[in-house]
Amino acid sequence: MSTAVDLKHVCTRFGREFSLGPLNLSVPRGSIYALIGPNGAGKSTTLNLLMGAKRPEMGTIELLGLPFPAQDAAIKQRIGFVSPELDYSAWRTVGRAIDFVRSFYPDWVQSRTERLQMLLDIHRTQRIAELSFGQRTKLALIMALSRECELLILDEPTIGLDPVSKRVIFIELLRFMENESRTVLISSHQLSDVERIADHVALLNHGTLLTASPIDELLERYRWVELAARESQAAVIQGTTVLERGEGRERLLLDLRVTTPQMLLERGLDIISSTPMSLEELFLTLIRADDARRPWRPR
Amino acid sequence: MPEETSTLRLPPLSTGGSAPLYQQIVEAIRREVASGRMPPGSPMPSFRTFAAQLAVSLITVKRAYEELERDGIILRHQGLGTFVAPDGERRSRGDRRIAAVHALRSAVRAGRDAGLKDRELLDILERELAGSPQPADQTSGE
Repeated sequence: MSTAVDLKHVCTRFGREFSLGPLNLSVPRGSIYALIGPNGAGKSTTLNLLMGAKRPEMGTIELLGLPFPAQDAAIKQRIGFVSPELDYSAWRTVGRAIDFVRSFYPDWVQSRTERLQMLLDIHRTQRIAELSFGQRTKLALIMALSRECELLILDEPTIGLDPVSKRVIFIELLRFMENESRTVLISSHQLSDVERIADHVALLNHGTLLTASPIDELLERYRWVELAARESQAAVIQGTTVLERGEGRERLLLDLRVTTPQMLLERGLDIISSTPMSLEELFLTLIRADDARRPWRPR
Repeated sequence: MPEETSTLRLPPLSTGGSAPLYQQIVEAIRREVASGRMPPGSPMPSFRTFAAQLAVSLITVKRAYEELERDGIILRHQGLGTFVAPDGERRSRGDRRIAAVHALRSAVRAGRDAGLKDRELLDILERELAGSPQPADQTSGE
């Protein structure tokens, strides 16, 4: 399968504190791909690199098989963006903003614009300056989803949306995906939403990629294990990360690709429980384990 | 939505429910087939269309279809699509047998999670079987 987004060895810096990369990321076509991570992990920076709002200091970027930014103009016609930083207020009203943006894109489907306006309760006469944050996001989503683009890049597209609008957007994204050559790259903090609609997930922390995999494989790969602790032996076993210790118990993150519960038993460890985790629990655990391995840095 | 005209309607699916999403889909489709609302040969929606209808990821629907195919409830024909299997209704109604297969499947998973070896799992199963002899008057099947 070809890739929609391909980052090779991309590095960039932001001020003195933050650096991203070297980042290798490959987003397959035909999937909804979620970028997750705590604030300041580098999600928005990564998406800004893809939108051309920022240049990498090193590395190469390919979008839809074309080098970026060398083929910038050709690429932009085939991609839609939604970001909290988009500002349409210069056009005063929703209707004028839509008409202006539509004039750039031959692939615009006006009937879809109208259907989305109805579903999301956004009207042509509304003044952009008077829109709430959520309504501005809806407008940006209407613009992106009105086009027949091949790649949608969405930076936190569901912040400020009520549950009804959120569901509308998910259904629209999945309908967009009915054409299997299309791809959605999305950054989000709403992990239960990500778990529901995304196929792949990439986890960033402090500007580095911790893991990237199909979401079902990721969830099946890890277990939260509780041991009856005598001396702590688990700390030295590969594929385990000790999370907590106390009251005669030891709680571990177990990476089944490296170590199985059976291997723990063979070492004489006493397993009290071993449970799969939700994406949110796994996220918290992997971030905590990664932070513990790093020298202290301010967040 | 007006252009959505499908014969297949499922109850709402919930994240954070007792069963994973794909399993909720499997159960709901099995009930549809068992009730005769989806007779043998009925076409199933493509998984992309179905994902949009249910507002769940493609990977979730794919996995549900794989499971239903494994249980013989649906059949995939290369290039033609996916259909309810000729004996899908019977298979989905043979609930007790399938329920037993599923219970064993999750028992295996639990055993592996607990670190048991396959040999140990088989020993346990044999002991369970020995401890609960089959009543002589009960024939298999219904």
